[in-house]
Amino acid sequence: MMQILRPVLILVGKDILLEWRSRDLVVSVLVFSLLIVVVFNFALNVTPQRVTVLAPGIIWVTFAFAATLAMNRSFVREMEQGGLAGLLLSPVSRDAIFLGKALGSFLFMLLVEAALLPVFGALLNFSVLSFTLVLTIAMATLGFALVGTLFSAIAVQTRSREIMLPVLFFPVILPVIIAAVEASSASIGSEPGVGLNRWLPLLAIFDALFLVICPWVFAVVVEE
Amino acid sequence: MPIVLLQATLPAANLPFLFAAFTVAWVAFFAYAFFVSRRQQELRKEIAELRRALEQQEPEDAS
Amino acid sequence: MLGNGIRQNITGYLVVLSGLFMLADLYLIFVVAPTDAVLGHVQRVFYFHVPIAIMSFLAFFLVFLASIAYVVRRDGKWDRLAHSCAEVGVVFVTLALLTGIIWGRPLWNTWWTWEPRLTTTLILWLIYVSYLMIRSYASNQQQAARYSAVVGIVGFVDVPIVYYSVVWWRSIHPSPVVGPFAQANALEPIMLWILLFSMVTFLLLFAYLVAERTALRNSEDRLRGMRLVLRRTGR
Repeated sequence: MMQILRPVLILVGKDILLEWRSRDLVVSVLVFSLLIVVVFNFALNVTPQRVTVLAPGIIWVTFAFAATLAMNRSFVREMEQGGLAGLLLSPVSRDAIFLGKALGSFLFMLLVEAALLPVFGALLNFSVLSFTLVLTIAMATLGFALVGTLFSAIAVQTRSREIMLPVLFFPVILPVIIAAVEASSASIGSEPGVGLNRWLPLLAIFDALFLVICPWVFAVVVEE
Repeated sequence: MPIVLLQATLPAANLPFLFAAFTVAWVAFFAYAFFVSRRQQELRKEIAELRRALEQQEPEDAS
Repeated sequence: MLGNGIRQNITGYLVVLSGLFMLADLYLIFVVAPTDAVLGHVQRVFYFHVPIAIMSFLAFFLVFLASIAYVVRRDGKWDRLAHSCAEVGVVFVTLALLTGIIWGRPLWNTWWTWEPRLTTTLILWLIYVSYLMIRSYASNQQQAARYSAVVGIVGFVDVPIVYYSVVWWRSIHPSPVVGPFAQANALEPIMLWILLFSMVTFLLLFAYLVAERTALRNSEDRLRGMRLVLRRTGR
């Protein structure tokens, strides 16, 4: 257990340190997310009467786009410095590399979402202090991180890497988006609690399934 | 009266949809099979040409 | 594997056989099958639409199995099978969507509804189009094989989750089908038999197209190999 945990934590620490030094990704993702919210406000005409219906959708479209932006950078950064090749040469298992990158993306997205949530709460007028909302965000973000890390490792190696990640990512992640929107509606919307006993287990099943599959197929992606 | 109306209008109105669905399916299958087999022919021809080029080359290498 | 000549023979038999079955199938659909009492003649699309949709699921299931086999065994033949099945599967799933849309219009009064089967079919289309895209955007053949195998595995595992999430989503956001023929009526036995025959017909057509596509892929690979040899010898 320790053998796999140590390299994972070192990798996560490396990614956090890199981001802490430049802070360029966190700033750009936050600004991008706020822009989406502004666009949504005018595109959907978010009035106080309709806000409880629209808010979960706006939140999750924003989070999903922010996630693709962040995941794409995560491996582009490794490619630029030849970091991925170095990682693969190091005596660390492929599982550990995948879990390290995925955990890094997961934590990064949680940070971004934690910063955005109060802003959403203020702009869209809902209370962010909901346990089920926080749980939903954590579980859905884990799903984003697992699938996104796998597909960004693929997309970054292909031509037209910017378009390949969303094209691969969104169809597979659709159930997570559906479950997250519905669970968020149940947490902050007009009908509290409805359907949570379905959506939260669905998210848990998705996370568990891809936690098993993704490391296995990641080894196939990165072998040369 | 309503039954008569149903009989008189609906099946006839639906015929274009029936026609469209079968046409789309047939045209698509034929087009796909056609493109695959034509590309196959092109490639076979190219392979034959390359093989001839390779065979011509080998005696030169030997000499 | 099979010799080239035998394989060509099989492809030849398949094209003749599926052609004959198709003619018989059309005869059954348009002459033998009774006109549906409620839906009228348009119900005959059903005998095409359902087998096409089922064959596309079969195709993607084969992609899934062949992708796993490729990942485990690393034998190029599994990649060729997966690639061929995926491309033919995309043709089938596109037609399943198109015939479904055309059929839905007179049946439900709308071209499209976010019904679980329709939605899952659309997602399948998107996943396997991205499968073909990743193949063409990869920088070499070996990379294309590995990446597409990953998409073939992950995409197929995802399908049941997509289906159930849309089923549950519908139970919360019901948009009742409002057309005059919202409820399907039970099939007569003769209709079931014709559907079964249609299924066999499209299975043959599917097998023929996969065989043809695999042969094309073999030619593509051989040509690529020969070009490589020529380039190395400096021609």
